[in-house]
Amino acid sequence: METYTYVNIFETKGLEYLLLMSFLVLLVLFVRYLREPGGKD
Amino acid sequence: MSRVTTISEQGGFWSFLRSQLRPRGKILTPFNVISVPIILLGLGILVVRFTQGLGSVTNLSQEYPWGFWIGFDVITGVAFAGGAYTITFAVYIMRMEKYHPIVRATVLNGLLAYIFYAGALALDLGRPWNIINPIIGNSFGFNSVLFLVSWHFLLYMLAELLEFSPVVAEWLGARRARRILSAMTLATVIFGVTLSCLHQSGLGALYLMAKPKIHPLWYSEFIPIFFLVSSIFAGLSMVILEGTLSHRVFKDQIDPKKHHSFEDLVIGLAKGAAIAMFVYYFFRALIFLHDKQWTLLRSGWGAWYLLEIIGLVLIPCFMFAYGVRHRSLGIIKTAAVLTLVGIVLNRLNISIIAYNWYLPVRYYPSWQEIVVTMMVVSAEIWVFRWIVLRMPVLREAHELPSDTQEKPERAAAAASL
Amino acid sequence: MNRRDFLKVTGVAGMALTGTDAKGSESSSPSPEFYGVLVDTTRCIGCRACEKACATEHDFPVPDIANDGALETQRDTSETAWTVVNRFDTSEGEVFVKKQCMHCWQPACTAACLTNAMYKTQEGPVIWRSRKCMGCRFCMVSCPFDIPKFEYHEWNPKIQKCNFCFDRLQEGKKPACVEACPTDALMFGMKRDLMEIARVRIYNHPERYVHKIYGEHEVGGTGWLYLSAVPFEEVGFRTDLGTTPYPEYTRDFLYGVPLVLFGLPALLYGMNQMTGSDNED
Repeated sequence: METYTYVNIFETKGLEYLLLMSFLVLLVLFVRYLREPGGKD
Repeated sequence: MSRVTTISEQGGFWSFLRSQLRPRGKILTPFNVISVPIILLGLGILVVRFTQGLGSVTNLSQEYPWGFWIGFDVITGVAFAGGAYTITFAVYIMRMEKYHPIVRATVLNGLLAYIFYAGALALDLGRPWNIINPIIGNSFGFNSVLFLVSWHFLLYMLAELLEFSPVVAEWLGARRARRILSAMTLATVIFGVTLSCLHQSGLGALYLMAKPKIHPLWYSEFIPIFFLVSSIFAGLSMVILEGTLSHRVFKDQIDPKKHHSFEDLVIGLAKGAAIAMFVYYFFRALIFLHDKQWTLLRSGWGAWYLLEIIGLVLIPCFMFAYGVRHRSLGIIKTAAVLTLVGIVLNRLNISIIAYNWYLPVRYYPSWQEIVVTMMVVSAEIWVFRWIVLRMPVLREAHELPSDTQEKPERAAAAASL
Repeated sequence: MNRRDFLKVTGVAGMALTGTDAKGSESSSPSPEFYGVLVDTTRCIGCRACEKACATEHDFPVPDIANDGALETQRDTSETAWTVVNRFDTSEGEVFVKKQCMHCWQPACTAACLTNAMYKTQEGPVIWRSRKCMGCRFCMVSCPFDIPKFEYHEWNPKIQKCNFCFDRLQEGKKPACVEACPTDALMFGMKRDLMEIARVRIYNHPERYVHKIYGEHEVGGTGWLYLSAVPFEEVGFRTDLGTTPYPEYTRDFLYGVPLVLFGLPALLYGMNQMTGSDNED
């Protein structure tokens, strides 16, 4: 019935940090895009 | 009159609403002509509902205990009302004076949204006379998320009422009351923002125990966070739309100078919405990655999920950004509409569509449920109109006779409405 | 044996000698353990005497179990039937499975209830109390087994679900369904004892049962336990519910609420003060 297998619940952690880093880079680009017109505000 | 065409592009209802709300005294306006029968029909339906039971007018079932009244009126409606706490946070906590002109209308909208949409919760209760139980203390279900949410609704309505009360005081000419109530504004805003954060997320937390029933693409232990973050841009989008609408409908109420600054204001709101959506999108992506959900994308549910996440979050997010950069109010308003559609879809997905997704039976709202929802919305608009036409919500406050010497202070006192 | 263990043993022995009398009568001190029922589906013959007994006991329309052909379709419990028996055609032949409230150890429905209308009694049964309920149906949303049913066609609707014959239990009687069962497919007792009996049955007849007791760990353990000859998912059980008690899913959120209520107002006030200019106030 029940099988005993090792489940690594942190398997995707590496990918998650990759996503985080790409998010930070993209956020900087996105914010710069938003700020560009006229540079005021 | 390019503005008029923009608003009419957003659907017949809004343009008709605009054209009808303008004249103050007329009785036979199309909005009245349509909304009065809806309200009467809705009341009739409610009579049946309270005498014959919920099943007589709704399509609710044992499989779908929560339908359109909860999924749309309460859960979506409250998300739409998120503008009130976002704007009061910006104006009173962060002292962004730029948004001061819209505070009153936003707070009024938030207050009415809570009274009517959260109030719609009572229509859905099977035994509404027992609604006092969790309040008066003979049955405190501390262990329930709904206990928390209902208490926060109640307290938040009070906070909103206090935030709005200086306007009422001004309207009534009660100078002392106004000064006292204004002095409480910062406290009520702090209280209101805190409560909002908790019950916006609390509405999501309602579904935490429905884990086996909600499609894995929508269930996450982070639903509360998603609800909170999405209520920010839902609220901002709503402020953009209803602000635009109010500026058309109640044109004569508004100082032309303010009208000019409105564009700046909308662009600022769009910036906020764009950033919030950008963050929200990546939150959802993180969960997608963590739960390894790419295998689920191949089904029809996957396409539906992508429609919500890409089509109605990421795309409007970029549209907001594009609109900000090119100072295009048209694009910003379209983005706001798409965002709100996305919020409706997300809330309905969790509460109805992807809920019990594996069952052969499906739930569709009955026409009565839709009529009652329209009744709630119409009634809210009636009250909103009534208040706006009478109280200094949009227009500059009439200076009270003995208030004139305070006038220079007023501009400086950020904490007063 | 060290001194501490010695004291423990003598203490326990002393308790055993004086018996439970020292603690008073059964009724005044709540039972320290939850009641349960072991359902051995290999013994069930699908006679539906339990359905009839349940309907009689709780004043529901009594089904005509001999002639109504109800086993031809898959049924769910309803607002007029707290328990139903379903037939499954499996690799091991016909299997009959009784369905009713599982009386979870940590029920989702009671955690969901904002008026404590859904209530986990100290004896184990999960009961519904009409005076408190406001009919929000959050229990129905939360229950992993979809057990609570709502009377949609009443002006004063009730939530209907098996209450483990709580009144009978207090009178020292067994639940009506257990008493009516002619084949001992239902066995009433303390869950600890029932678990042992279930294990003994599996041990003695390893070929007759799948080696799993449904309800042992499901959603944190349930009062009703099931034995089966075929894998449980083939006879209408959800095996994807996990072993976490359902209230745990909202624990972190509810735990966090006071933290936010403490911290956020102060934080917001601080932010407000930081944004102000010095000569204000």
